[in-house]
Amino acid sequence: MTAVESHMTYSNSYTINNETVYMTQEDDWDRDLLLDPAWEKQQRKTFTAWCNSHLRKAGTAIENIEEDFKNGLKLMLLLEVISGERLPKPDKGKMRFHKIANVNKALDFICSKGVKLVSIGAEEITDGNGKMTLGMIWTIILRFAIQDISVEETSAKEGLLLWCQRKTAPYRNVNVQNFHISWKDGLALCALIHRHRPDLIDYSKLRKDDPIGNLNTAFEVAEKFLDIPKMLDAEDIVNTPKPDEKAIMTYVSCFYHAFAGAEQAETAANRICKVLAVNQENEKLMEEYEKLASELLEWIRRTIPWLENRTAEQTMRAMQQKLEDFRDYRRIHKPPRVQEKCQLEINFNTLQTKLRLSNRPAFMPSEGKMVSDIANAWKGLEGVEKGYEEWLLTEIRRLERLDHLAEKFKQKCSMHESWTGGKEELLSQKDYESASLMEIRALMRKHEAFESDLAAHQDRVEQIAAIAQELNELDYHDAASVNARCQGICDQWDNLGTLTQKRRDALERVEKLWETIDQLYLEFAKRAAPFNNWMDGAMEDLQDMFIVHSIEEIQSLITAHDQFKATLPEADKERMATMGIHNEILKIAQTYGIKLSGINPYTNLSPQDISSKWDAVKHLVPLRDQMLQEEVARQQANERLRRQFAAQANIIGPWIQTKMEEISHVSVDIAGSLEEQMNSLKQYEGNIINYKSNIDKLEGDHQLSQESLIFDNKHTNYTMEHVRVGWEQLLTTIARTINEVENQILTRDAKGISQEQLNEFRASFNHFDRKRNGMMDPDDFRACLISMGYDLGEVEFARIMTLVDPNNTGVVTFQAFIDFMTRETAETDTAEQVMASFKILASDKNYITVDELRRELPPDQAEYCISRMTRYIGGDGATGALDYISFSSALYGESDL
Amino acid sequence: METVEQLVSFLHIQVQLSGGAPWGFTLKGGLEHGEPLIITKIEDGGKVALCEKLKVGDELININGSALYGSRQEALILIKGSYRILKLAVRR
Repeated sequence: MTAVESHMTYSNSYTINNETVYMTQEDDWDRDLLLDPAWEKQQRKTFTAWCNSHLRKAGTAIENIEEDFKNGLKLMLLLEVISGERLPKPDKGKMRFHKIANVNKALDFICSKGVKLVSIGAEEITDGNGKMTLGMIWTIILRFAIQDISVEETSAKEGLLLWCQRKTAPYRNVNVQNFHISWKDGLALCALIHRHRPDLIDYSKLRKDDPIGNLNTAFEVAEKFLDIPKMLDAEDIVNTPKPDEKAIMTYVSCFYHAFAGAEQAETAANRICKVLAVNQENEKLMEEYEKLASELLEWIRRTIPWLENRTAEQTMRAMQQKLEDFRDYRRIHKPPRVQEKCQLEINFNTLQTKLRLSNRPAFMPSEGKMVSDIANAWKGLEGVEKGYEEWLLTEIRRLERLDHLAEKFKQKCSMHESWTGGKEELLSQKDYESASLMEIRALMRKHEAFESDLAAHQDRVEQIAAIAQELNELDYHDAASVNARCQGICDQWDNLGTLTQKRRDALERVEKLWETIDQLYLEFAKRAAPFNNWMDGAMEDLQDMFIVHSIEEIQSLITAHDQFKATLPEADKERMATMGIHNEILKIAQTYGIKLSGINPYTNLSPQDISSKWDAVKHLVPLRDQMLQEEVARQQANERLRRQFAAQANIIGPWIQTKMEEISHVSVDIAGSLEEQMNSLKQYEGNIINYKSNIDKLEGDHQLSQESLIFDNKHTNYTMEHVRVGWEQLLTTIARTINEVENQILTRDAKGISQEQLNEFRASFNHFDRKRNGMMDPDDFRACLISMGYDLGEVEFARIMTLVDPNNTGVVTFQAFIDFMTRETAETDTAEQVMASFKILASDKNYITVDELRRELPPDQAEYCISRMTRYIGGDGATGALDYISFSSALYGESDL
Repeated sequence: METVEQLVSFLHIQVQLSGGAPWGFTLKGGLEHGEPLIITKIEDGGKVALCEKLKVGDELININGSALYGSRQEALILIKGSYRILKLAVRR
């Protein structure tokens, strides 16, 4: 069998164009037909079934393909059904030519569909030519059921074959190569059915070795479920070595149309679905768009007012928070929205594109949600945003500045307030009221310093005010408190200024007053001091203890006192003046309310001192008068005493003197014997003793005088002392003279000196007693010795002097002289010699008694010895025994060796 | 007992005289008088003067090797007891 090569040119043109041939009739069917009547039988069956499958839609059917198509009516109906088009009205006649005409109409129709009919005439058909009819039916089948099959640019038979291959590809035991043998086992058909409707056949149960079963299964299923009437016979196909291709093609084409239709329907459904899906998608997109747009617009609508809100916050913190919120907005909240907008735009564009591509009308968003609306809204948003950020920054800057200013203000205020703190109190102090001039001056200086300090602070106050002003201009939120504080400071400043001035005035005033007072103080001091001195002097004078010894003296004192009294009125005037100054001070202080400390810086003298002293002075004056008068009396009394004493003394004095002379004469004169001298002396002694009462009396007077403190007495040259001394001298002299005489007597008796010798001694002694006082001084003595022939060297003389004057009195008494002169040996100056002498006196004892001394020696020497001698220590000593031995050795104090 | 200071402050001199009494000096003072023994006089040409060692005012402290306790009597006895030779120690 040769492959059918048919070029199909598909033409859109519906009108038949003779040049374009849609289909040429198959030429080889005639030959085949003639050769195989089996095929004819098959074909007949199949074609009949096929025609009926269409005719049933019109409510009719054919039983015999040759017969039933004769009149052409069913043919025309068939064509109408399968083409879906109306044919021209059939002729209703029953005549042959009517039938032919109808058949021709049908054939024309077929030709009009582009089928070139060859050797098929209407008459043959009308005549019931089976072969021709079958051929015509095949032509129809070919044209209307197969020719339109197009599978991947392969059409008609090839297309159908391809379709079968494609569909049965998955089934391994099916291999469709042709339209005859490949279909013999029935599996192909089953596969075909199963491919599209797996629910209808359980393909796994099919067996290749049951072709008839398979085929019948396929036929039944097709008829039952696919609305494809049986067109073939299973036994025929199986038994025929090569089944009729056309019949198979015809039956398979039904499957194609059924499934393809389904497929088409599926495809159509898919297309619809796709389209619908696209539509839905589009609609969803639109909805989304709308929704998103709404949301976005809503968000914009919400956000814009927030960005438009230009209410300033009070604190920088809050503004910064706003800025932070804005940043969050920009960084966190807006980007997704930007994204959304972007997305919206994209979606819109995509949607529009899709719509356009899918040939739909463009998307028109609802009112207010147009792209332009969104864009506008967005622009508005951005515009507001920008403005917002700028506003935020400006505000923050402003607040920063305000904060800074406010801080500066606070700081300055605080500093200023701390400086002014307490100043008002200080300025209001009245400390100058009780201050001295120096203190006032100091306060003044301090105040001046303060004033300059105040001036220095002026500009600070101005600065504070300036800042407050700026704060106001910049609309600081707490401007009220700032203003209040500034006002407070300014008021205080004014107050300080006022107080400062007041204080200055007060200080100046007080200073002046104090200067005046100070002057007065000075004045007072200048006058009070000398006056005080005068008063002190006066007091001294008035209380002066005077010692006057004469009436004249007291008189002069009285005179002085009277003179003094004369000066008192003047003094009183001075006192008044001085006190007057003080009163003036008091007056000023009282008038101007100054508290005086009461201390005069120039003097320690207070008015009280002056007053009291004055009173004292005044008090003393009469006392003085009294005293003076008393003294006068006293002096007079004294004078009396003096006279009394003088009278006495003037008698006694000379009397003593006379006596003295007489006594000395007695001793000096050589007249008479010693005894006579003695008697005379004794007489004198008696006189003297008798006279003592006078002395006592005088002593009494003297005592009175002394008690009255009379120290001088111009009425007499004799003082009591004189008298006493004289008296004592007298007593002594008389005693001594008596003694001397006694001694002389003793000596004379002891040494056996004659009176004449004694007189000689006396004469010599008197001669050299230049002073005539009964004693010789060493020079006298020396001269005396020389005159007697003793030429002594210094040493010798000194020795002799010591002998003569053991007591170192510096004078040589007559007694001593006599002793010396009557010394037995020249060398009596050894202690041993003295000791020997003592021994003699002691009657050879080793000790001497007091009595012996007294007896043997002149009294004073005896006493001397007694007082100097130590008690004799020796068993043979009696009481009162004195050791003359050691005394002797010690007597001289010197030993010449 | 003399203190060291006292010893140090004094100048000690010793002499030996020969020839017997009189030695030619005068001694004054003594415990009896409450005074130290002092040479108050040196006779010109006397033995003491010839030795040219002693001076007026010297205090006698030792005679013939015997230290004096200050008594004049003792000193006298010691001196008078010396026959031919007299050794004196003084301080000044």
